[in-house]
Amino acid sequence: MSRAGFDTCLRPPSRDVGKYRTVPFRPMDIAPAVPSRLPEPPDTAGPAGAAAARLPVEPERIHPGLWRGHQLGRAAGTVVPTGLAALDFELPGGGWPKQALTELLLRQAGVGEMRLLAPALAATARGDCGPSRSVMLFDPPAMPCAWAMAELGLEPQALIVVHGREGPRGAAVRHLLGAADVLWALEQALRSGYAGAIVAWLPERLRADALRRLQLAAQAHDGPVFLLRGIGERLKPSPAPLRLALHPAGPDGLTVQLLKRRGPARPQPLQLRLPPVSAFRRAVSVQAGLPPEDAGQDAAATCRAVVSDGPQA
Amino acid sequence: MARRPETAGRGGGGVPPREDGSRPWGGPANPPAPLWIALQLPQLALEAFAATLPPQRQGLPLALLDGARLAAVDPLAAAAGLQPGMKRATAVALAPRTVFGQADAAREAQARQAVAHAALAFTPSVALHGRDGVLLEVSTTQRAFGGLPRLIEQLQAATAPLGLSCRLATAPTATGAAILACWPKLAIPLIGEHTHRLQALKELIDDAPVSLLPHAAGHIESLQAMGLSTLAQLRAVPRDGLARRFGPQLLAEIDAAHGPVPEVHEWVTLPDRFEARLELFARADTAEQVLYGARLLLERLLAWARARRGRLRRLQLQMLHEPRHRHDDRTPERSTLEIALAEPGNDSAHVTTLLREHLARMPLPAPTLELRMVCHELAFSDAPSGELFPTRTSEREGLLRLVERLQARLGPQCVRRVQPVADHRPERSTLLLPIEPSSVRPQAGAAVAGTVATAAAAGIAGPSSPMLTRPVWLLPTPQPLVERRSVPWLEGRPLQVLAGPERIEAGWWDGEPVARDYFVAQAHDGSVVWIYRSRLPGGGEDPGPAAAGGWFLHGRFA
Repeated sequence: MSRAGFDTCLRPPSRDVGKYRTVPFRPMDIAPAVPSRLPEPPDTAGPAGAAAARLPVEPERIHPGLWRGHQLGRAAGTVVPTGLAALDFELPGGGWPKQALTELLLRQAGVGEMRLLAPALAATARGDCGPSRSVMLFDPPAMPCAWAMAELGLEPQALIVVHGREGPRGAAVRHLLGAADVLWALEQALRSGYAGAIVAWLPERLRADALRRLQLAAQAHDGPVFLLRGIGERLKPSPAPLRLALHPAGPDGLTVQLLKRRGPARPQPLQLRLPPVSAFRRAVSVQAGLPPEDAGQDAAATCRAVVSDGPQA
Repeated sequence: MARRPETAGRGGGGVPPREDGSRPWGGPANPPAPLWIALQLPQLALEAFAATLPPQRQGLPLALLDGARLAAVDPLAAAAGLQPGMKRATAVALAPRTVFGQADAAREAQARQAVAHAALAFTPSVALHGRDGVLLEVSTTQRAFGGLPRLIEQLQAATAPLGLSCRLATAPTATGAAILACWPKLAIPLIGEHTHRLQALKELIDDAPVSLLPHAAGHIESLQAMGLSTLAQLRAVPRDGLARRFGPQLLAEIDAAHGPVPEVHEWVTLPDRFEARLELFARADTAEQVLYGARLLLERLLAWARARRGRLRRLQLQMLHEPRHRHDDRTPERSTLEIALAEPGNDSAHVTTLLREHLARMPLPAPTLELRMVCHELAFSDAPSGELFPTRTSEREGLLRLVERLQARLGPQCVRRVQPVADHRPERSTLLLPIEPSSVRPQAGAAVAGTVATAAAAGIAGPSSPMLTRPVWLLPTPQPLVERRSVPWLEGRPLQVLAGPERIEAGWWDGEPVARDYFVAQAHDGSVVWIYRSRLPGGGEDPGPAAAGGWFLHGRFA
């Protein structure tokens, strides 16, 4: 979906009002700003007059890389829809960018990041936007559960899991070796152009040029690239054009903070609803704290406690 | 190499062709007039020696020794003033940086054999000529390659990776083509009027020096003393006297160069098993130096494979090590690197990448003196089509190559696929298996099969409204949780139980029984985790302070 479509139809009118007045004018531009009232001969107009005459041409139509400060930029290539309309609306181009890095910063694995990415990954594996290709997971934080992936719509056959080697020596060396392996493998996969979507858990304390290498390599990769990193990296610069911070928000929610995008800053975070964990519909949440006398009893008693305590909570 | 003698008079067997090369009667049933391409390798001895040098010695002047005197010098050495026949001591004084090597006939024969193999990809009729020439008869195959100029282009491209400089000429007779290719004053490659017409060839080679005839080489002084310096002069003298003085073979050569007389060639045949060796000039200590020499052997191997119309499936690189000075039996005589390609192919760059990755992982017990490459497994199926636009097959091959490259460096156990298993125990419900070539399929086919699996797995929810019943991330070993006031605690905060229990009791039949009650719980930061309470004391579970009735963290709903 094009950004112009958003501007004309979907944006609230307040955004479009004064579209041209928000451009900062210099004083010498003011007089020719209304060319109908002060017609100037072309030979005496000078550069200021010429600029004013071209002013109605919108800059974003001159070149796809141009946009104004209050507008969302366009993606360089095509995008993959995120599957969440609220998030699509806020992302340049209306989805996860292809041929560019996307950084997701989270405190630890398990905040809902795979449920957020699953629609885009499944669309890549199915071939909704381009040839159907596999999804590669680089150094995932734990063992992926095939059945959970299938429940999210991701075929297990389409998944490839890549780990770094385990060195023979101590843990410190093993960590370094594995990190170098993962970066190398990631770059190979990006440059090959045959991987579909890539989700990579990057090692900590990455050198700055490693990310720049990856961003360069990603330009040959026709698919989304997600780098999952610690929340501590949010203050460090990164060449990725899109950076999001993810915070958990309850069992089926996610708070997404847009740290960096091609467009205006959005200080207030986005609240997204994720696919729920199945048992939630019938089970009702109970406040922590089962009866103390339940401690040594069978788990069946715990089960009863959960169900019976439910309606009162 | 097995050779079988054969008469090469294609069309000359029955009725001899006319003087101009055309047949007495024309017609499509007649075989075409013979057309020969001669490949001359003027620097064969030097370049075969240069291939054994390590990379840091490339670019230095080279000279080959025969005893104490120089046998051949390369242009760099010639520019420094060295000449064949010079004493070695003189040469060292003139150009101290010169690399000296011994001439080795077997080394040169191997290098020339590789060129002959490369030529065999274009025609079945390839013969060796003299010490450094290869002859091809292409009249029957030139149309298949798009005409003679295109064939010559492809031939030059095929011989270029072998690292030998090459002069090339065409003629209707084999000896004529060889004379033209050896003639230093002619511009090369040589295609022209003489390519098809015998008369034009005769006019062209009349001015050639007699030294270009192989059998005249032993009689150069006598011939020059008689004032015979060109072929025209040689043809003008009486034939019987010539035969009496120099033997009948010189006469036969002159006739073969000029006219359509039957020529006898020993055709080069391809061995079933490729084996090539390269003795290194200096010992190779690092994998990179080994790879430098192995690359040349690989190009020779590929020339052989292309001539056999096959693609590499498995090859072996043997490194013969230097024996240590002290008597040490632990140093193996050789180490062997076996490379099996997931998808048979003839791509030199890809196999080189695989060689580099495997060599980098392989410990080399001692410096390498000699390399050998052996191959006898080729794939003879249809070659993959080279498509411009991506197809499902090309996608699969591209992915397979990527996986192969990753596995070559990281090992097969680091690049794996995900296999669901029908087992209730969560830690056994997913297997990570190394990727084999057969398991990589075009994704479109996998998606159909996978949809069924999805529906079966979800059971309650279709793909339109996904719901999670299992956590995405499973911890490899369950993490014991502290229990206070009968509530499990994670990271110093109590967990809030959201749903459960789900009892999983299985595995009594294979000795690893589990009996657990699983709960979905929410951590203090809002993330959702999967915890269980063990119902078995000790057995099969992590022994610890809370063995029976203890809480464990097993997964995270990501």
